[in-house]
Amino acid sequence: MRAFLLFLPLALVSAGAYAQSPGNCMVSYPISFPMGNLHDYSSNTSFRGISFEFNKKTSPYTTAGLEVGWNVFYQHVDKKVYQEGTASITGVQYRYTNAVPIIAGVKYYKKTGSKAMRPFVGVGLGTIYVNRTTDFGLYEIVSDSWQFALRPEVGIDFKVASAQAFWLGAKYMWGFNTSNLDGQQWLSINIGFRSGL
Amino acid sequence: MRPLFPFFWGLFAVASLGGCYPSGPEYNSDLDLVYTNYSSDFGFAQKQTFALPDSVIEITGQVLENPGTRPAMLSSTYAIPILQQLAANMTKYGWTQVDKTNHPDVILLVSAMTTTNIYYYYDWDYWDWWYPDYYPSWGWYYPGFYYPPYVTGYKSGSVFIQMVDQSTVGAQAGNIAIVWSCILNGLAQGGTSDILSRISTNLNQAFTQSPYLKH
Repeated sequence: MRAFLLFLPLALVSAGAYAQSPGNCMVSYPISFPMGNLHDYSSNTSFRGISFEFNKKTSPYTTAGLEVGWNVFYQHVDKKVYQEGTASITGVQYRYTNAVPIIAGVKYYKKTGSKAMRPFVGVGLGTIYVNRTTDFGLYEIVSDSWQFALRPEVGIDFKVASAQAFWLGAKYMWGFNTSNLDGQQWLSINIGFRSGL
Repeated sequence: MRPLFPFFWGLFAVASLGGCYPSGPEYNSDLDLVYTNYSSDFGFAQKQTFALPDSVIEITGQVLENPGTRPAMLSSTYAIPILQQLAANMTKYGWTQVDKTNHPDVILLVSAMTTTNIYYYYDWDYWDWWYPDYYPSWGWYYPGFYYPPYVTGYKSGSVFIQMVDQSTVGAQAGNIAIVWSCILNGLAQGGTSDILSRISTNLNQAFTQSPYLKH
């Protein structure tokens, strides 16, 4: 995860430069609700995360681009007895899931009468790097996986100035099963800012 | 017109990442584990009596260096409360304590072991007192090569309890049937009273999660 943090300054510089070309940069804060297997493991809503998108305009109403994000899910499970056959083990668990989606996607902005608001829909394909770590007593159980991912989204742009807008959207990150970890899925509500066309 | 962008970028970065990574254990007891297992073929309900040594042995290696001699013993500061509470829990569950010469149904053997590991990681904050232009940071960085190997920097310890089925002793070519086992594992750090309190809590938990021992 440190590598991702080191990547941030680079992303910051790139975003500034990218915003000058025909396209846009979008940064957003996701509030994420775990679903499926991820929810079974860690049901808490995640308020930790960030997402960056770099999009090129491909027509007056469409863009294509790349999204990179980071979502942290955490659950503290109080002292509890776990049973397996005749064995019982009691302890506190700290469950961490770090997920880094890397998604190539397209967006379609709907034509509307209003210049201030533009709804959009999008779909993306890519991968999610998932690091799941369970601290249990003095032991740590770690699994890493790269999962094929699909990401549909909907949103709406609120233009605040020329080539600048706030946006609000919902994304469904849908990771698929791998040999060592079931597909990780979550629904996020993103509040963000867009710079560029 | 782009001046808003850096402002919002910074705002999001701070809101999303700034100092809000989830925390972990806060107290030594958060790292305690209680493990129990048993033989489902053994009829605990039909057994009535148990015996207990007066000391807890300290395991220092898989092989006893000088067979036939008395091994190292855990300090009585820890051993006596452990043995007393173990006996109390057995009695509470309907067992009767007898001397080892009075043909007990089961004998409880209690051992302890500790491990200290080596750590090659420590916080940069250690150098706050001396380093010129010090400021808080995230940690160390080794450009182009790996961190020195590091794992732990703590002393961990376990109390290991084995319940021996006395009817099998000597009957199976030297193999002793253990019908119940219990491991209390955690940090062997903190004050004596804190460690004893945690052992006490965990020993009670071992019996709570082993209801089949109850008569």
